[in-house]
Amino acid sequence: MSNVAATAAGQALGAAAPSRADAATAAPTRVRREAAQYASPYLAGVGIGVVLLLAFVLMGRGLGASGAFSSVVAAAVSTAAPSHAAGNEFYSRYLSDGAANPLRDWLVLEIIGVVIGGLASAVLAGRVRWTTERGAGITDRRRLVNAFVGGTAMGVGAKLARGCTSGLGLTGGATLSVGSWLFVITAFAGAYAAAPLLRRAWR
Amino acid sequence: MMGAAPFYEFGRFGEGTSLVIAVLLGVAFGWFLEQGGMGNARKLSGQFYFTDLSVLKLMFSAIVTAMLGLFWLSWAGLLDLSRVYVPETFIAPQLVGGLVFGAGFATGGLCPGTSCVAAATGRKDGLALIAGMLAGVFVFGEAFPAIGRFADSTARGAWTLPQALGLSYGTVVGMVVAVALGAFAGAEWLERRAERPARPMKVAA
Amino acid sequence: MTTDARRRPGIERMLAVVAVVGGALAVVAGSPTRATRGSVDVTELARIVEHEEDHVTAVELAKWIRDDKPRLRILDIRADSEFDDFHIPGATRVPLAQIARMPLDSAATYVLYSEGGTHAAQGWFLLRARGVKNVFFLRGGLYEWLEQVMAPRVASTTPQAQRDSIRALTLWFGGKMQVVDSTSATTVPSVLDGALSAPRAPDARETIRKIRRRAC
Repeated sequence: MSNVAATAAGQALGAAAPSRADAATAAPTRVRREAAQYASPYLAGVGIGVVLLLAFVLMGRGLGASGAFSSVVAAAVSTAAPSHAAGNEFYSRYLSDGAANPLRDWLVLEIIGVVIGGLASAVLAGRVRWTTERGAGITDRRRLVNAFVGGTAMGVGAKLARGCTSGLGLTGGATLSVGSWLFVITAFAGAYAAAPLLRRAWR
Repeated sequence: MMGAAPFYEFGRFGEGTSLVIAVLLGVAFGWFLEQGGMGNARKLSGQFYFTDLSVLKLMFSAIVTAMLGLFWLSWAGLLDLSRVYVPETFIAPQLVGGLVFGAGFATGGLCPGTSCVAAATGRKDGLALIAGMLAGVFVFGEAFPAIGRFADSTARGAWTLPQALGLSYGTVVGMVVAVALGAFAGAEWLERRAERPARPMKVAA
Repeated sequence: MTTDARRRPGIERMLAVVAVVGGALAVVAGSPTRATRGSVDVTELARIVEHEEDHVTAVELAKWIRDDKPRLRILDIRADSEFDDFHIPGATRVPLAQIARMPLDSAATYVLYSEGGTHAAQGWFLLRARGVKNVFFLRGGLYEWLEQVMAPRVASTTPQAQRDSIRALTLWFGGKMQVVDSTSATTVPSVLDGALSAPRAPDARETIRKIRRRAC
């Protein structure tokens, strides 16, 4: 575990932590857990594969993510401007079967679960941190702007493609859907094309 | 005996239970994503600089696992494959949407699902990305009258690779496994290469 | 930071082996659905057909539905779009190919119908070949249903009690009975007659809703 990470872990949850030297000589204080190592991506992937398979077996559908965002937006727009939403074919498709309540949407509840599960895993591993993940080459603010812009692009792209890496990549990948595989290939192509422009953001 | 799967499709339980299942599956999904480090944009974006290919390893492992599970459960007569939802193909929108999505992915460093994990674990960039996603969906919704026709074009329905390639389902499954393992080997090689120290500079004699 | 994952090479290698075996066997297996062999006792089947124990009338089926016959499975083997336009309440859409390999409920009573009845009769045969005993089909198909249940034309000479019983049954399904004076009481109405005026079966809406919500 690198020192950077150890110190970062020491600053978990926002409290100032004693440096390693202090901790050695000071009176016994609460020992700050070091952030645990990540699990093997292969094993985590197989775990997700099993979850995905369970979704197929129980529900006849796979996992997803971007659809939850659509439900929220459609519900918000229809609440704020009902006639506008009704006149727009995109929003009305989400509202036509009477499910204007995102809390009854399968994907929204799945995403709520994702938040819970992600937090639980991070808490147990000591990886919760109120921070901004970025390289040293840019500022926090720049990173947040990038994140917002990237998110906007992904919002548009996911709606065009009717899914994202979870819905198309995982679900479509496992069910051998042609469009999903096409999406994954072009998504990675787009990412690799854009990446050199953002190298500094991650260094 | 419970009977065949998918259970919901055979009416084994109702909508309320299905929503509880959604949360539980989501919890497991989020758990494994975080375990794999997918909630960390710096780690995740390593994929696009060939330094950390966890994204490829994780996604492909998940796909292969579920794909094999679907095949063999169906073969064993335990799952009715024809009732499993196959995401529909819209060739042009998915090609274009993929490119746009990918560019956003590299810019944001997280995808929709992992952004929720990032936000859950306190990452402000995750929150910013979620806000961006909502904005993007809204932009798309507002622009739909103009681009709706394109978005609905070139539909091919639930078109699968076996159908498109004219190969048997099992053959495609085998091919995907082979490609995955090859990709894993390549990924290991690339990561090892990234970790090698840089060549020392020549010193003038 | 980069590859700081805790690797477990032993487990990973084992999983890789499982994947290779699973993939290789899949290539050999070819199809994810095993070929199903059926067998029929031809004499037995001939006897059943001759005794008309292979089919039900639309009225009989209607009564089964109204009386909530347990484990009744009504299978519609027409095309998707036709199903969405109108189907017998409680029916699920099952194409013939699926009939051949769908999981079976041994305690269920299956009733198949198609537009005219021919495909349903073929589906009946497939299920009998798979060993299902409680299977029937609607000999006149959906036409018979529309004609006998949704928009029956009853001669005015029919006894009152019988007319009342038919009317009650028809009303239950949202149809309309007509009393006609001529002796030729039943002519096949146009498919649109009476069918479209009937309220959409609630489960049809439910089915459409389910399909739409599964998108990612």
